[in-house]
Amino acid sequence: MGSNVWRDTWLMTGRNIKTTLRNPFSFIPNLMISAFFLLVYEAGLSGIAQLPTFDGANYLAFILPVSIVSAAIGGAGGAGQSIVKDIENGFFSRLLLTPASRLAIVLGPIIAGMLQLFVQTLLIIAIAFLLGLEVKTGVGGVLFVLLIAIGWGLAFAGYSAGVALRTGNAQAAQAGTFIFFPLIFLSTTFVPYELIDAQWLKIAAAINPTTYIFESMRTVLIDGWVFWDMMQGVAAITIVSTLTITFAAVSAKRAVSRG
Amino acid sequence: MNGSIQVEHLSKTFKKGGIQAVKDVSFHVDEGEFFAFLGPNGAGKSTTVQILTTLMNATTGTAHVAGCDVIREPEKVRRHIGVALQETGVDPDLTGREMLELQAWIFGFGKKEGRERAMRLLEIVQLTEAADRRIGRYSGGMRRRLDLALTLVHEPAVLFLDEPTTGLDPSNRMAVWEELRRLNKEKGTTIFLTTQYLEEADSLADRISIINDGEIVATGTPKELKARIGSDLIALTPAEGEDSEQILLQLKAGLNDADVIKKQEKILIYVEEGTRQLLEVARILDRENIQVEDIQLSSPTLDDIFLKITGEGKKSDGE
Repeated sequence: MGSNVWRDTWLMTGRNIKTTLRNPFSFIPNLMISAFFLLVYEAGLSGIAQLPTFDGANYLAFILPVSIVSAAIGGAGGAGQSIVKDIENGFFSRLLLTPASRLAIVLGPIIAGMLQLFVQTLLIIAIAFLLGLEVKTGVGGVLFVLLIAIGWGLAFAGYSAGVALRTGNAQAAQAGTFIFFPLIFLSTTFVPYELIDAQWLKIAAAINPTTYIFESMRTVLIDGWVFWDMMQGVAAITIVSTLTITFAAVSAKRAVSRG
Repeated sequence: MNGSIQVEHLSKTFKKGGIQAVKDVSFHVDEGEFFAFLGPNGAGKSTTVQILTTLMNATTGTAHVAGCDVIREPEKVRRHIGVALQETGVDPDLTGREMLELQAWIFGFGKKEGRERAMRLLEIVQLTEAADRRIGRYSGGMRRRLDLALTLVHEPAVLFLDEPTTGLDPSNRMAVWEELRRLNKEKGTTIFLTTQYLEEADSLADRISIINDGEIVATGTPKELKARIGSDLIALTPAEGEDSEQILLQLKAGLNDADVIKKQEKILIYVEEGTRQLLEVARILDRENIQVEDIQLSSPTLDDIFLKITGEGKKSDGE
């Protein structure tokens, strides 16, 4: 009976989903915040969509990506949180003492985190539809938005799992999630790039990969199938997730190594 | 597959700080033997366990567990060992039953077989009633028992227990002892146990290695260890106001450099023939006009042996 990566991954993922569902407070706050963004910004800021720069776009469609990215990052962060919890409980060591595939031990929480992200994103999109969202590109566009959300979530999951595996410490992992704020708000969060007033924020937004994620989602939601604008997000995901997943893999290797 | 452990010249130096936690340790444990590693905190017990259970690589030396090389064949070793580390390894969000089932499935048992094993083990460690409660609500003793059950799911040939009773109250400690004895006797499971409690090693183990500062300082059966340092022990308590340092020197001189050590307010003398030496001690005391409060002749306990071999006073006797 050789160690079976698929079976082990299945077992680990199942267990992580179970424990996530048993701790509703590990995902409810993030979901609320994301829904809150959508409702409050739409209610309070939708007037600015009258500005000519918006070109008649619906503000709901404009702000939706902010809410989605917030939900995705929160969901993906769950991967790191459950790894830290396991390390602190000694459960991680208990798993390392079994013949379970080392890959499966690390992959389980990441896959569960991705599923959490997927469900959260779906819920946010559903709320947006209830609020009257219209998508220029239809069902295909919604699917594209979902894919981008998952991709960006994966990039963040790599980061959060990497920090968790490296530090094994709840405080450090918690501090690591502070990147959430600059990532979401130092960007074209509320208005298009052209309307950002402060020069420093313009620079920050240009550097922040989230800007390109917002851009690609907004393209399909508002403008239509504009290939190169959509590709901005894909490129940002490719670059960032390559970095973070490498970071996670190196950290994972260190965490399961016997040095 | 056999349940033996062979360790040859094992050393571990941590890269961080360059601390050598284990220094050229060699020992072997036969199949079915109950072996104890006895030593104070920081002696290198846990490091040795981590190496033997594949969690850590050795710096030099070799180790075989159940016939497999722990460095080169960690996967094989993991199939044959059960390990309970100092800290229990349980997920507080699962129930005891779920935890055991998961462990069984990870070890490759089928759905049904896993369920049955979980049920049986819950009975053995007397957690049937708490089986469907989340582990987060278990007491320390219950967690410890569950942790022990987890190590047994796959009926390992060798069981490693790193201070399994630390932090347990007496009744839980007794329950764990009973279970370990049963496993060793009935199933023939080889047991490698580390402990700081002399009483624990004395009462459970067939053979004991005393480890201090990363080195094995003595190995033998509890009986042999007691014999090694003289079969008798004279313990005397000087009367108040006496200079015990002075008495120590006088006794050493008078008894031909016999093993005389000071332990708190007591002076311990390790001797071959207790009765004869007791008279000699009394003569010296009389001659030097030393007042004593109490004098006793007894067999040394492992505590006394430990004190003598490691040559340092333990912080307290018998916690």
